[in-house]
Amino acid sequence: MRFEAMTDVIGNTPLVRIDPAVHGLRHIDLYAKMESLNPFGSLKDRAAWNMLLPLLSRSGRDGRTVVELSSGNTAKALAVLAGMHGLSFKSITNRMKVPEIKDLLLLLGAEIDELPGQAECLDPTDTGDPLTRMHQRLAGTGGDHLHTDQYFNELNVEAHLHGTGPEIVKDLDGRAPDYFVACVGTAGSSTGVATALRQHHRDVQVVGLVAHKSDFIPGIRTIDEVHEVGLFDPGVYSCIETITADDAIDGLLTLVRRCGMLAGPTGGGAYQGAVRYLRAVDAGLTERRTAVFIVCDRVESYLSYVRDRRPELFGQLPRRNSAATLTGADLAQASTVEVAEAEQWVTERRGLVVDLRSPFAFRALHIDGSINIVDELFAELLHGGLPFGRGQSVLLVCPVGEKSARYAALLARMGHPQVRSLDGGIIAWRDAGAPLVRD
Amino acid sequence: MESVLDETDLLTQLITALGSPLAIVLPQQLARNVAAFRDVYSGHRLAGQIFYAHKANRSSALVRELAAGNAGIDVASLAELQHALGAGFAPRRIIATGPKNRDLLWLAARSGITVSTDSLAELSELAALVTKPALSPVPVQVRLSEFTSTGVHVGARRSRFGVPAAAMNQVLDLLDKHPGVFELSGVAYHLDTIGLSEKAVALEGCLLALDEARSRGQRPWSVDVGGGFGVNYLADGDQWDAYTSALSQAVLGKREPLTWNAHGYGLRAEGGTVRGSLQLYPAHRPVAGAAYLDRLLQTAAPQQRRPLGQLLLDSMYDLHVEPGRALLDQCGMVLASVLEVRDDDGDTIVRLDCNARDVSLEEHGVLMDPVVVHRAASTDARPVQAYLFGNLCLEADLITRRKVFLPSRPQAGDVLAFVNTAGYFMDFSATQALRQPVARKVAMWREHNAWQWCLDEQYWPVRTGVEAA
Repeated sequence: MRFEAMTDVIGNTPLVRIDPAVHGLRHIDLYAKMESLNPFGSLKDRAAWNMLLPLLSRSGRDGRTVVELSSGNTAKALAVLAGMHGLSFKSITNRMKVPEIKDLLLLLGAEIDELPGQAECLDPTDTGDPLTRMHQRLAGTGGDHLHTDQYFNELNVEAHLHGTGPEIVKDLDGRAPDYFVACVGTAGSSTGVATALRQHHRDVQVVGLVAHKSDFIPGIRTIDEVHEVGLFDPGVYSCIETITADDAIDGLLTLVRRCGMLAGPTGGGAYQGAVRYLRAVDAGLTERRTAVFIVCDRVESYLSYVRDRRPELFGQLPRRNSAATLTGADLAQASTVEVAEAEQWVTERRGLVVDLRSPFAFRALHIDGSINIVDELFAELLHGGLPFGRGQSVLLVCPVGEKSARYAALLARMGHPQVRSLDGGIIAWRDAGAPLVRD
Repeated sequence: MESVLDETDLLTQLITALGSPLAIVLPQQLARNVAAFRDVYSGHRLAGQIFYAHKANRSSALVRELAAGNAGIDVASLAELQHALGAGFAPRRIIATGPKNRDLLWLAARSGITVSTDSLAELSELAALVTKPALSPVPVQVRLSEFTSTGVHVGARRSRFGVPAAAMNQVLDLLDKHPGVFELSGVAYHLDTIGLSEKAVALEGCLLALDEARSRGQRPWSVDVGGGFGVNYLADGDQWDAYTSALSQAVLGKREPLTWNAHGYGLRAEGGTVRGSLQLYPAHRPVAGAAYLDRLLQTAAPQQRRPLGQLLLDSMYDLHVEPGRALLDQCGMVLASVLEVRDDDGDTIVRLDCNARDVSLEEHGVLMDPVVVHRAASTDARPVQAYLFGNLCLEADLITRRKVFLPSRPQAGDVLAFVNTAGYFMDFSATQALRQPVARKVAMWREHNAWQWCLDEQYWPVRTGVEAA
């Protein structure tokens, strides 16, 4: 396969059957449309390219910025596409909720503009919503922006009407599936694919999946949020079902662990929602049926999303020499010194003074002659073993003498005989009027 | 609060004697709310002061009760400062914030309270008042704004208050110009947002400003993070989700309206799509008040990537907060008499002897159903959906534009209790328009196993105690 540009690689994704042993449906063949295999990693590559292409042919686009209200895959695809065409990209967002995507966007050279949060002292006469504010902002900058407007742009739907939908029909030997299950985000893909399928088979059942209201699933809107989308037409869907973040992660695990499909939570949610809906249908069937769902993007960007919700999946062995494993008896072994004695200790330079506070605070004020190893770093060092010899006396210093006592106890347990903790910490030291310096 | 509501006879007697509307404050609850904030301080091993934002409620009882404890007070007008001093607050427990006139600055300088300054001009004005005649140095804290973020641009609403963080050097120049006049106690920010990321940027910006001040020879010791900790008005998040979904459906015309004249609370329908944004206070806020402060302190500083609480402690800075609403959670309610209940064109109308300014729920976007206090056993125990009309001759005078759902039908003479109105909603905007009375205020407290009461201005936290019993 030879291509002139990465944009030519967009689309024509495979349709892959899910092993019936996995989903357990007896009369239904379930297929996954592998949109995650698009070049920039998601279904949104199609819409992004379709929406951007006509803007590129406009004259005087040089030096302009492509803007979109997106914190996910659309932003990612647009950032790549803008870069390929010598443009910059700005993502305007309420809040970046997925840290990996945020970092990726920054890596791609995108600018991220977070809108202000809701006011605490509400002003009911302020009726600006994020979309209105964004349009105001774009209009105010002299129109040098190229706004793709994914929530209202028909080209978003068309990308799927002429691409994703017909591809599915072609791969099913010219027949539309009986069921199509789609997560509703901008409603572009679900509307476009559903329309294309129905041109072949009027009675395709289209199941729209929305997120449970108190949940966040990347790329899926809640039942209220879909009503804010210009492309959303309730008439497209035979029914709207709700899925939770838990469902999405369950589905994701099935796809990544058993199907060889490295799907993100949107794809996982689509799978889980599809199987739940189809299981009820399957019970009443006697003939064979076909169903399709979309694997929207890949799992790698959502590791922290999954970790936040299912920490047990990332179960690691407890690390050696961790302060978290200290017992009451260990802590009782920590030796401490009062400020007065510590002052003497410091003046006579009896040993090493290690300040565990942040470098910022250390730089501002510290005990003369001390060295700074911030606690996180110190903890890392201890996992590896004793960071100084047994003959070296050490005085540990932290803000209130609590952390330093824990580390003194840990070092004692590790066999170091001469580590002490400054009782009451540097705050007690300051309050006693002992000298602090700033370099 | 619930046990006050059980005192049906007492409440109905009070409203008969003192008129409708009637505001009730519960000073003892304040101490519990202060303690919740103190617990967060001790959890993070932080020192500093909790300044109650006086503007949230005009009550004397609440201010005097606070004076009896260890909290401080944040005043924003000359009269509030006089009130605080008169209630027993020592100057070191008072901070003046907000727009200040010369009289307020004069009294602040003479009484020795801390002035949280908003601008360079204000600082210069204060300097003139301090030097002629010379007073001892006035503690000042500088309120900063327009913090810059790196990486992701974190937007913040424009504020009328504060010195741009980038102009900290000009503040320091001004302090140098007036040696011995000021004592720089610290810096502050106050952002009108519930968003944590904006506050994290601001707090880290304050730490940088303090470092700049130290490098110029000042010895500041505190960061004031203002208020905006919020209150959770609704226990059940599902109810809030169900209500807001139903409201969207009503805006789209897919169900009967839930509001008077199909008001959309900021939402509107355009071509079958909902536009606008919901202009309501998020009634269900599982992380509010002291818990919100805790969350903020656990948030990592965007540049230094270390929890903000840890950074404050590392730097040995005191943390000051100025909560208003959050300290007054469960500290008060407004009672109003029912004048008339009628059925009108399919809707039930309850007309009250109070107006929207006496219970300013609409103004603050808070949706709280009132509690019905029946004078006699209810004759109609069935639930009712009703609109609440006020006593002003204005089409717009609805206590709330929302249809409220009451568990039993009230009758003329019954009382509706609007609970948890102590923060802002009780008297912040109360007006004598149409010569209608502003609510009298009563303080209630538990003593000798019973509820006691007195007029708000009569309340002093001097208990007769067990000896007298």
